[in-house]
Amino acid sequence: MHLPYRHALIAMFLVAGACLLLYGSLGQAKPMAIWNWMDIVGEGGTALMSALWALLILGSRPGGRVTLLLAGGLSAIMLGAWVDCLDEFFSIPDQQLWDNWLESLLTPGGMLTLTLGLYFWRQEQWSLNEHMQKRERLFREHRSFDRITQLANADYLRRQLRLEQERHPGESALILLDVDDFHLINREQGQQEGNRLLQAISHLLLLNLRPQDLLCRYAGDRYAILLPAASAATAAAIARQLQQAVRGLAHHTRDGTRLRLSARVAWASLEADTDALLSRLDRALEGEPAIPEGGPAVAV
Amino acid sequence: MHCYQLHSPCIPAAYQPALTLEFARNQELDYRDLLPGTGLTAADLAAQSLTPAGYLRLLHNLATALPDGDTAFLLGQTLLPGHQGPISHALLQARNLGQALELLLRYQAWLSPLLAPHLMRQGEQTLLYWTDSCVSARQRTFLVEMMMAAVSGMARWLSGQRLPWQYSFNRTRPAHPEQYAVHLGSQVQFNAYLDAMAIASHWLEQPWPRGSEMGVQMALAAAEREIGQQPRRSLLAAVYDYLHEHIRQSPSLEQCSAALGTSPATLKRHLAAHDTHFQAELDQVRTHVTLELIHNRGYSNEQIATHLGFHDANNFRRSFKRWTGLTPSVFRSHLFQLQASE
Repeated sequence: MHLPYRHALIAMFLVAGACLLLYGSLGQAKPMAIWNWMDIVGEGGTALMSALWALLILGSRPGGRVTLLLAGGLSAIMLGAWVDCLDEFFSIPDQQLWDNWLESLLTPGGMLTLTLGLYFWRQEQWSLNEHMQKRERLFREHRSFDRITQLANADYLRRQLRLEQERHPGESALILLDVDDFHLINREQGQQEGNRLLQAISHLLLLNLRPQDLLCRYAGDRYAILLPAASAATAAAIARQLQQAVRGLAHHTRDGTRLRLSARVAWASLEADTDALLSRLDRALEGEPAIPEGGPAVAV
Repeated sequence: MHCYQLHSPCIPAAYQPALTLEFARNQELDYRDLLPGTGLTAADLAAQSLTPAGYLRLLHNLATALPDGDTAFLLGQTLLPGHQGPISHALLQARNLGQALELLLRYQAWLSPLLAPHLMRQGEQTLLYWTDSCVSARQRTFLVEMMMAAVSGMARWLSGQRLPWQYSFNRTRPAHPEQYAVHLGSQVQFNAYLDAMAIASHWLEQPWPRGSEMGVQMALAAAEREIGQQPRRSLLAAVYDYLHEHIRQSPSLEQCSAALGTSPATLKRHLAAHDTHFQAELDQVRTHVTLELIHNRGYSNEQIATHLGFHDANNFRRSFKRWTGLTPSVFRSHLFQLQASE
C-alpha cells in the first residue's frame, strides 16, 4: 500500500472513531430492543461501500485535484451514513443540535463535492482522449494494450480490421513495419535497451500519422498501422514516410551509443479475409533485402 | 542408470535458470517472485542447483507473471549460445550449423534439459525435432516455442542471416499466430505430428563467420573436464535413443531396462513418474521411424511392416491408426499435400 493511500485510510478511521466517541459521550445508548435493524444495515452498508469507493479512487488514480474531490466527496458521504447509523444506537437529547447539523451537512456536502469532482474528471478525460488518439479507435479494451509500448496489440487490430471492413469495405489500407536487425540490438545492447527502442519508435510513428490512423504493436518489433479511408497512393506515401522517419531517428542507448536504424514496410488495401491479408504482409516483410533509401515500399 | 530424471538436482542455477531470472529483471519483474516452489532461495543463487521439476516451475512462474504471447520466444532468444562456460564457448565458435546442432544434441543436458533434440534426414532436408525429457503436457507448448526460438535465434546471429527454416508444431493453431510469424517466420504449420524445424541440408555446411575448429576443440576439452561423470541425457531421452537404435528388433521393456542397467520394475516406475509408459514410448519411436521411412525411402506398408517387425501390413496399418489417428495412406496423402504447398 503506498503512502497517501495509507494516510487516507488512517484519517478516515480516526474521524469515524471521533464520531463514535462524540455520540458515546454525549448521547444515551438505546436499548437493543428498539434498534431498527433495517436502518442499521442500510446506513452501515452505505458507509462501508462509500469508504470502499473512496479507497478504490485513491488506489487507482494519481493524486491531484480530481482525485482529491472524488475521494473527499465519497468520504463525506461515508461519514454522513456513519453518523446516521450511530443515530440508531444512541439518542441525543433534543436540545443539542450538533447531530442534526452533522447529518444534514455531511451527506449533501459530500454529494456536491463528488459532483464537482466528476465534472472536472470529464474535462480531464477529454484531454486524455487527445493523448490516446491514434492508439485506439471507436472502442476501448484495456486488456488489449501492450505492456511495453502501451499500444494496442494484434487482437485489437484484428477486431478493428473486421470493423473497418464492415463499415467501409475496400476503402482502407494496412501497413506493417518491421525494424531491421532488432534481434542484434536485443543481443548486443540487452533487452532493456530493446524495449526502450520499441517505446521510442512507437512515439516516432505516432507523430508521423494522421489523426484518424491507428498504430498497434503487432508482435515483437513489428508494428501495424491501420489507415482508414486511404487510397493506394496515400498508403504508399505514408509507408515511405514512416520508413524514412525510422531511418532518420537518432536513438541513443543509455550509455550514449547511437543506433543506426532502418525498417522495412509492406502495405495493402483491406480485404474481407484479414488473416490471409496479415500473413501475406508478414511474408512480404521476410527475406527481402532492406529497401534502399527512397526506394519503393512493398505493396502486396 | 546414468541419466537424469524429473527430480535429479542436475541443473546449475547459474546456467539457464539464471538467464530466466535475468530475462525477468529486464522485463522489470522482481526475480524473487519467480522463486517460490522452485527449490531456489534468493541468497547465494549461483551456488545452487535445480531439478528439472524446479526449472519447469520457474518457467511456469515466469509465464504466469508475463502472460503475453511473446514470453517464450523472447526468453528463448537469450538461451543459446548462453553463458554456460565451455559448452557455450564451443557453440559460439561452431564452424557451421551442422556442428552447432551436433553440440546441441551432445550437450542437451545443459543446453536443452527439458526437451530432447533429435536430428532426422528427410531427403534433401534436415529435421531438428523435439521429444520430452522432463515436461508436463501443460507446459510443452511454452517449452517448444522457447527452444525453437533459441535455436533459430542462435543460428540467425552466428550465421549473420535469417535462415530459411520451416517449422511444424504438434498443436492446434494458436490464438496469437503473429508471434510465430514475427519471431520464427511465416513458414509455420500447425496440427503436425512432430514439433520440428527443417532446413535444406546444404545450410548445415555453410561456414559461419565466427567459426573456429581449434576454438571448438579447446572449449570441448574444457567442457569434458568440467562435466566428468555427470549424466548427459534424461531418462526419457535415453529410452528414446535405445528404442530408435533397436527398433527393428521389437525391443521389450526387459531388454531396454537391461541396456540402461536397471530392472524392468524400476524402469516402469521411473517412466510412470514422467507420466508415460513403455508402450507409449515405443509407439512414439515407431511413428517417427515410419515418417522417416515414408519420406526417405518411399516404403510401402508391407516394407514398413517388415522393417518394424510386424506380422503383416494389416497389423501395421491398425497399429499406425492407433498411434496417429490416421491410416498410413491418408497420412501419405497428407504429407504430399504439405510438400506441394511448400
